[in-house]
Amino acid sequence: MQESIIKLVGISKVFPGVVANDNINLEIRRGEIHAIVGENGAGKSTLMKIIYGLYQPTAGEIYINGRLMNVANPQIAIKNGIGMVHQHFMLVPSFTAAENVVLGSEPRKNTVFMDFEEAVIITKALSEKYGLYVDPYQKVEDLSVGIQQRIEILKVLYRGADILILDEPTAVLTPQETQELFAIMRRLVKDMGKTIIIITHKLQEVLEVSHRVSVMRRGKLVGTMDTKDATEQILAEMMVGKEVVFDKFHANQNKGKTLMEVKNLVVRDNRGFIAVDGISFSVAAGEILGVAGVEGNGQTELVEALTGLRKVEEGSILVNGKDMANRSPSEFRKMGISHIPEDRLKTGLAPEASVNENLLMGYQHKKPYESFGMKLNKKAIYQKTAQLIKQFDIRTPSGQTKVKSLSGGNMQKLVVAREFSFNSPILIISQPTRGLDIGAIEFIHRQIIEMRDAGRAILLISADLDEIFRLSDRIVTIYEGKLTGEFMTADVTKQAIGLYMTGKNLSTAG
Amino acid sequence: MKKIKLSQDLEYIFSLALSIVLALIIGALIILANGKSPLTAYASLINGSLGSPYKMATTLAKTVPLILTGLATAVAFSSGIFNIGGEGQLYLGAFAAAYVGFTFTNLPGLIGIPLALIFAALAGGFYALIPALLKVKYGIDEVITTIMFNSIAILFTGYLANYPFASSVGKMGATEMIAPAYKLLRLVARSKLHTGIFFTAVIALAIYYLMEKTSVGYDFKMIGTNLIFAKYGGINAERNMVIAMIISGVLCGIAGAFEVLGNHYRFLQAISPGYAFDGMLVSLIVKNKVVGVILMSIFFGILKTGSIAMEFETAIPSELVLVIQAIIILFIAGEKGFAQILRRIHAKEGVRGDV
Amino acid sequence: MYREIFNITLLQNTIRTATPLILAALGGLLTSHTGILNIGMEGMILLGAFFGVAGSYFFESYLMGILFAVTSGIIIGIVFALFVIKLKSDEFIVGIAINMFAGGLTMFLLRSIFGVKGAFSSPRIQPLPDINIAFIDKIPILNVLLNNHSLFVYISWILVIAIYIFLYKTPYGLWFRAAGEFPEALDTVGISSDKIKFASSILCGILCGFAGVHLSLGYLTLFTENMSANRGFIALAAIIFGSANPLMTYVAALIFGFFDALGIRLQGVGIPSQFTQMFPYIVTVLVLIAVVKRERDKKALQAKAGRIDKSQSQAAGNLTR
Repeated sequence: MQESIIKLVGISKVFPGVVANDNINLEIRRGEIHAIVGENGAGKSTLMKIIYGLYQPTAGEIYINGRLMNVANPQIAIKNGIGMVHQHFMLVPSFTAAENVVLGSEPRKNTVFMDFEEAVIITKALSEKYGLYVDPYQKVEDLSVGIQQRIEILKVLYRGADILILDEPTAVLTPQETQELFAIMRRLVKDMGKTIIIITHKLQEVLEVSHRVSVMRRGKLVGTMDTKDATEQILAEMMVGKEVVFDKFHANQNKGKTLMEVKNLVVRDNRGFIAVDGISFSVAAGEILGVAGVEGNGQTELVEALTGLRKVEEGSILVNGKDMANRSPSEFRKMGISHIPEDRLKTGLAPEASVNENLLMGYQHKKPYESFGMKLNKKAIYQKTAQLIKQFDIRTPSGQTKVKSLSGGNMQKLVVAREFSFNSPILIISQPTRGLDIGAIEFIHRQIIEMRDAGRAILLISADLDEIFRLSDRIVTIYEGKLTGEFMTADVTKQAIGLYMTGKNLSTAG
Repeated sequence: MKKIKLSQDLEYIFSLALSIVLALIIGALIILANGKSPLTAYASLINGSLGSPYKMATTLAKTVPLILTGLATAVAFSSGIFNIGGEGQLYLGAFAAAYVGFTFTNLPGLIGIPLALIFAALAGGFYALIPALLKVKYGIDEVITTIMFNSIAILFTGYLANYPFASSVGKMGATEMIAPAYKLLRLVARSKLHTGIFFTAVIALAIYYLMEKTSVGYDFKMIGTNLIFAKYGGINAERNMVIAMIISGVLCGIAGAFEVLGNHYRFLQAISPGYAFDGMLVSLIVKNKVVGVILMSIFFGILKTGSIAMEFETAIPSELVLVIQAIIILFIAGEKGFAQILRRIHAKEGVRGDV
Repeated sequence: MYREIFNITLLQNTIRTATPLILAALGGLLTSHTGILNIGMEGMILLGAFFGVAGSYFFESYLMGILFAVTSGIIIGIVFALFVIKLKSDEFIVGIAINMFAGGLTMFLLRSIFGVKGAFSSPRIQPLPDINIAFIDKIPILNVLLNNHSLFVYISWILVIAIYIFLYKTPYGLWFRAAGEFPEALDTVGISSDKIKFASSILCGILCGFAGVHLSLGYLTLFTENMSANRGFIALAAIIFGSANPLMTYVAALIFGFFDALGIRLQGVGIPSQFTQMFPYIVTVLVLIAVVKRERDKKALQAKAGRIDKSQSQAAGNLTR
């Protein structure tokens, strides 16, 4: 167990303007599961890409099996037994499982032809050897995420990897699939003598599966320890640098009448699968209803259906007694629903347009910003945008600056500023602080609470359980498109919610 | 929304100027390889396009179809719908205008000319509507359909001009002449500059106002820059894309009408040597900005007119300017990539790496 | 009159007219597999046609004509790839620029080298040879249909098969298709998808060069301005019609070629050819509509089966325990 298989000495990686990795010394031992944890942007992925040859370090040395190596490209990494399972799967959707497994190192006949039968045999053999069941003939596009991940792992094993790097492997998995993955990982290490590096930011998982854990913060390696000596508290402190205890907000006092009521909602995802499966709930003025769940359990589709961006299959969305199911986004907006989307760059902003243009969205057809049916009144617009920039503390050189040059926090503040400024009675807020620094999180949380206290009905969707607990008055849990429980925040613990999020309600878990 | 943007605009104008200079240098090398002096050649090009009121008028006449088709491209492209079908819309517009002109021969110009323009606009707009609907209803790539539609329209009008509406006298592949009342006034003796230039100027102003000063233009541009954001913000993207496409088709139809009413006085089966493609390139070079379209159209007009004089005086084939234009476009298309490579070499500016 | 039009020579002509289409389309389908829509085929064909004539004229050898055309194809393929892949320019703008460049350059060179405008022909230009296959000589219909065609007709047949095998039976074909559909999948196993795209662009340049040289030295023995005559775009239509499968694309090229040949004959007897010429374009639009409809139906069907699919894959997942 003590022999080192990878040793990094003084690794640094500097991107223009950003130090992603700063003098990192790390040792991975043969036969261990080594977890690397850290917040978004801590430099975990960069470090792994350096080991895998996708990035070149600015400084430092990499030793593999005790030999100094220059890992100039992934091929060198692969030759040295390093394989990487990427967070976003690197599979060709229209190819079969077998074709994906062998892609790049195909079995051949007569030197130039591809041997498809052999590819299938290889895949089957690998499948059996490692207990990773896949059907070699099935096309990847028809397979579930969990199976796709297995193909990714098979791909890596086929290339003879001894060291597997798994980048956030559980982010897209259901709890059940996560448990299966952990079982596979343990078997690979114990029975097959592989070494695994797992990148994650979920501390629970680290404690569950790893032997040792390294913590990264802002490009630096803060420390490495045996997992048995670690606790969530210790790791969390190392990750954020200081003990972070957000103040609790006082709960709401005066809940008003119900503003939005969802009944038996059914929505499909992009692939046509049922993603939201008969969900019902209601939100009242002056309350925050938190939706807790592991990502990918239908939250995205639910939010899109509730804002007119996705077709509703069955059920109704009652707003002031009017059924809004399958209305256009503009009708939702007219009914007084504002939306902070989960992906600000893709949905919430036009990165190539200016701050002013981004703030104008939704006002462009309203008086006094528009007159004579189409003329834009620059003066009124600039007054409004300047006021919003100031009020929400959006740090930008000017209103003319392109949004893409702002920081993540300021982009999100821009979205919040615009959506909150409509004074909509209903706010649908999805992952409002993802990837933001603590200052911005605090600012946005306070804005949300202010809105609640002003009598808005707020639906908060977040994968961050701490965020849900901090802000929500009431919590529902979502699992595989269904609501599995409903609680008053004051009456419930995170542990209990965690159980419901994984589909185990008390009757089956107890 | 101008002041700070200027720095980004200036950067672009700089690289545009650089592209033009580089293309002209390559052109000069080709001229040298032909054993001629680039300086004399370029001097005769400038002189031949701007040297006298007549030459300037000829240059300006050349810009009319470029501006109209360029604006057509600017409106569509900045709304995220890629109308490559301008040439087909232009042909249909031209034929429609000619049809009015040789059919309703008794109308006075004051009624007849607007009528011809309206017919042309309708023809162009309708023809653009079909691929637009195919895109928003079925998600069919409009780049491919409009390319196909170009050929269909050119062949169809070619059929009309050769068979049912073929001229009884003279030319093959031409319709009858339009009635004299339809002919647009020529402004400068012997040049082809006609009153359509004023109409073009009015259209250019209107399009500028639409794109830069109105909520419609704002909606268009937001759809073009981030479709998902536009939809999320409550803009009816489908309807706006269709409208933008119709405007685009209307402008191309009018461009065709002017070729008939101001230039040839009849429909010809090859009435446009690819004006709409030229206009599209003009617009692409200036990133679909209205003011840029006008300036770049004039520049292309100078190249076109001047090249004839250059050929006359120095025997350098006028097609050289096509080569120069294509090189400008290539450089501009590669501008972002060049800039990135330069930046990588310098590697000092604050571009955020993927962490 | 009916007999004059619909006879065996019509089919022979169909093969002749389909040949430049399929040669260019094979190139275009290679780039479309690697994820590049190449609108510049029109210009690439034109350059091939011109340099084919130039090579054949100066060296009085059709082989030099082919060599010139291929060289021009390689160069323009590299230029295309350089801009689209290395400089990340819009493939569609680059394609149009190449068409404009080719149109301008060939006219310019036609005048500055040969001193003519419009068209250039000379007895010095050596045409591509016709191939006579002796044993077919004796078979009545096949002799007319398949024998005594110009060299590139036969090359095109070989290429259709070869490229089909290349795409679907070799690892390289797998890489080509992966590069278009999911380039990262290729990059992360150590094969540069950019290099694959680069290769496909160059191959497209060469094949368009073939199409061009066939036009100017096989189909005719002269060069005229814009003699590619929209074939690049019809080739694009054939690719769409044939879903970028070489065999299907050849079928499309044959159908388009048939209507082209038919049109020329109809014109001979005073019937407008415009409508037969329109055929490829109209059919392409209809095919696009049909494809979308088929995909929608498929999706609806999948959606219906959605619940079952998901539970099935989960059942499969459970087997690992």
